[in-house]
Amino acid sequence: MGKFMKPGKAELVLVRCCLGCKAVIVKNMDDGTSDRPYSHVLAAGIDCSSRKVTAAMGKKKIATRSKIKSFVKVYNYNHLMPMRYSADMPLDKTIVNKDVFRDPALKRKTHREAKVKYEERYKTGKNKWFFRKLRFYIFSKNH
Amino acid sequence: MVAAKKTNMRLESISSSLQLVMKSGKYVLGDKQTLKMIGQVKAKLVILANHCPAWRKPEIGDYTMLAKTGVHHYSGHNIELGTACSKSYRVCTLVFTDPGDSDIIRSRPEQTGEKSILQYFSLIKLARACLKKKKKEIPKLAFGCTDA
Repeated sequence: MGKFMKPGKAELVLVRCCLGCKAVIVKNMDDGTSDRPYSHVLAAGIDCSSRKVTAAMGKKKIATRSKIKSFVKVYNYNHLMPMRYSADMPLDKTIVNKDVFRDPALKRKTHREAKVKYEERYKTGKNKWFFRKLRFYIFSKNH
Repeated sequence: MVAAKKTNMRLESISSSLQLVMKSGKYVLGDKQTLKMIGQVKAKLVILANHCPAWRKPEIGDYTMLAKTGVHHYSGHNIELGTACSKSYRVCTLVFTDPGDSDIIRSRPEQTGEKSILQYFSLIKLARACLKKKKKEIPKLAFGCTDA
C-alpha cells in the first residue's frame, strides 16, 4: 500500500483557470488545517509551457520561446488528478510555502522563484514529460 | 458449461467472503469515499461491480495502481453486489479498510498488473472536468492523448 500524494508527485489540475495544467506537489497536508479542514496540497505548476525550439533558430529567439509561466496554488485533493510521473523540483521551501497567499509581495516572489527554477530545469533537459504540453483531444459524439 | 459452473462457484465464494467482511471488518461503500480511502492508503481491497460506469473503472484502476492496492472486478452488477453486502440498496464501488475475519485478501492471486507500468494512463477524469467546465452534458466521449 503506497502513499502516492507525496512531495514531488506530478498531478494534473482539474479545475478553473489551470485546467489541464501539470503541477508538482510541493507540500501535502493530508489531514487538513484549521482554515482548510480537508486534505489539500500546495502545488507549483506550469501555466504556459515553453514553445517548440529548433536548431535553426537564433539564440534570442530560443530564449524568448523557452519562457515558462508558472503558478503556485493550494488545491483540494479532489481537484487534482495524480499521474504516474514524479518530478523532484528544487524549490526553496522558505519562499514557496502556504503563508505567501496573504501578502501579494511574497506571492510575487514565490511565482518568480518557481518560474526561475522551472526554466533552469527545463534547460537541463530533465523531466521532459512535465515541461511538454499535454496533448489532449476530446471527440464528443454530439459535437 | 464447466466455465459457467466455475464462475458461479467463484462468485459464491466472493459473496460469502463479502458477508463475513460486512459483519466483522471495516468497509466503505460508494465512489467518492472509495477514492478518499485509496488516497489515504487505508484501502486494502477495492471491489467494483461489473457494469460500473465506463469512466469510473479506469479512474479507480489508476488510483489503485499508484497506491498498489488490489482491485477485484465483481462478476455481478450493482444490485447483486448490494445484495451480497446485505444492503437494501445498490452498491457499485466498495472498499475494505479492514478485512476482519475474512481471508478474502490473503486468498487473492498475485496481481501482475502492477508490475508492468501502464503505457497509457487513462485521462477520463480530465475529459470529464473539461466537459463540465464547458457546461455541456457529458456525452459518450472518446478522447485521445499522445502522451500521459
